[in-house]
Amino acid sequence: MSTPSSLQNLIDALRVLPGVGPKSASRMAYHLLQRDQPGANDLAHALMHALGTLRHCRDCNTFTEAEVCEICADERRTREQLCVVEMPTDLLMVEQTLAYHGLYFVLMGRLSPLDGIGTQDIAFARLLERASDGVVQEVILSTNFTVEGEATAHYLAEMLRARGLQVSRIARGLPVGGELEHVDPGTLAQALVERRKL
Amino acid sequence: MAAPARSKRPRSGKSQPRIDAQPVFILHQYAYRETSRLLDIFSRDHGRLTVVARGARRPGSQLRGVLMAFQPLLLSWFGGGEVKTLHAADWQGGLAHPVGSPLLCGFYINELLMRLLPREDPHPHLFAAYYDAVRQLSVLPTDAGVQVEPILRGFELAMLSGLGYGLDFAHEVNGQAVQPARQYAFVGGQGFFAAAPGQGRFDGEVLLELAAGNVTGERTLAQAKLLMRQALGSVLGEQPLHTRQLLLDLQRL
Repeated sequence: MSTPSSLQNLIDALRVLPGVGPKSASRMAYHLLQRDQPGANDLAHALMHALGTLRHCRDCNTFTEAEVCEICADERRTREQLCVVEMPTDLLMVEQTLAYHGLYFVLMGRLSPLDGIGTQDIAFARLLERASDGVVQEVILSTNFTVEGEATAHYLAEMLRARGLQVSRIARGLPVGGELEHVDPGTLAQALVERRKL
Repeated sequence: MAAPARSKRPRSGKSQPRIDAQPVFILHQYAYRETSRLLDIFSRDHGRLTVVARGARRPGSQLRGVLMAFQPLLLSWFGGGEVKTLHAADWQGGLAHPVGSPLLCGFYINELLMRLLPREDPHPHLFAAYYDAVRQLSVLPTDAGVQVEPILRGFELAMLSGLGYGLDFAHEVNGQAVQPARQYAFVGGQGFFAAAPGQGRFDGEVLLELAAGNVTGERTLAQAKLLMRQALGSVLGEQPLHTRQLLLDLQRL
């Protein structure tokens, strides 16, 4: 017996999700069609709705339903500081700290030459345009402390410095409340390398 | 400090060979399933392997700070299939994380290895050359310029000869010894040919320096860079190196 083409289409469509192979895709398809048709309906509507209404914020590149996102539209925020993060989840994390009152730019990815993701695949040109608006004084690079995040930060620092902007990088080292005895040696070694004068 | 990977005990028997505390560098890693990572590693005695680190992406995983590229690690794994399972990871220490342009050069040598090094083929000498290159890159400042050149050329030479693509700098294709005063042309996949004065791109003197393993001096470095680009080009084939493109983009700034 061959699989009906609409079912096969659904299975193939589900495979676009990261980490979903043919087995998982057919399990998902059978679950949606057999066990949870209202859920499948909701999923289809939510997808169509999101695709139709979401777009990138004109200023910070994150997902928003308006032309400018809530944070960028907020008049009370400091317009002189721009915090660059990799993903919207990173933005939410920085927001949770309540320690930052400036604006953001979301790259929606990172440089990863070994995966073939180069400077053309990330919104660097938009960031450069955004940061050179004459109001931004300091760009704070908050990419991850992975090798890819570091490479991204280096590239951005060179790019922004060439435009005469002040660039800083978030600090790395011991966690708050960290005890030397229990911290992993790699972190401690790097904290020693990057120690600062008091 | 050992950060245990959450994994089942290996079954005994020959089908599940177990490797303990093997010196390793991670070349690249990929997210895998919900909480794991796939590591592309270069080990001293077992060559390039793929190892799955289960639970490495859980919040608070001890492995997160250990499984970093450009850091000497001691990994233990088991499994007889193509993908091994990580059992324990120790940070060996001694090297700072490379930063800035030396970091991008590190990506470049990793990309070379990922493109050219076959899997499960031990190359202890190449491993030593890699360790040496990473060690030298890790002490350079963010804005290192020409200091990276001898490190890269040294590694490229070691890699080409380690993988069987080594060049005979001291002889022409027809077997004649290279003369210091003459000039030579290079053809990828073949070797050196004597060229008419002013036609060759490589000085005999430089080739003899390279034959002696001496990659210093401005002229030698400049010609070696050109030579390596040609030699690697014929080995790598059509597909360009992504890291080279990135370094070019960076230079353009």
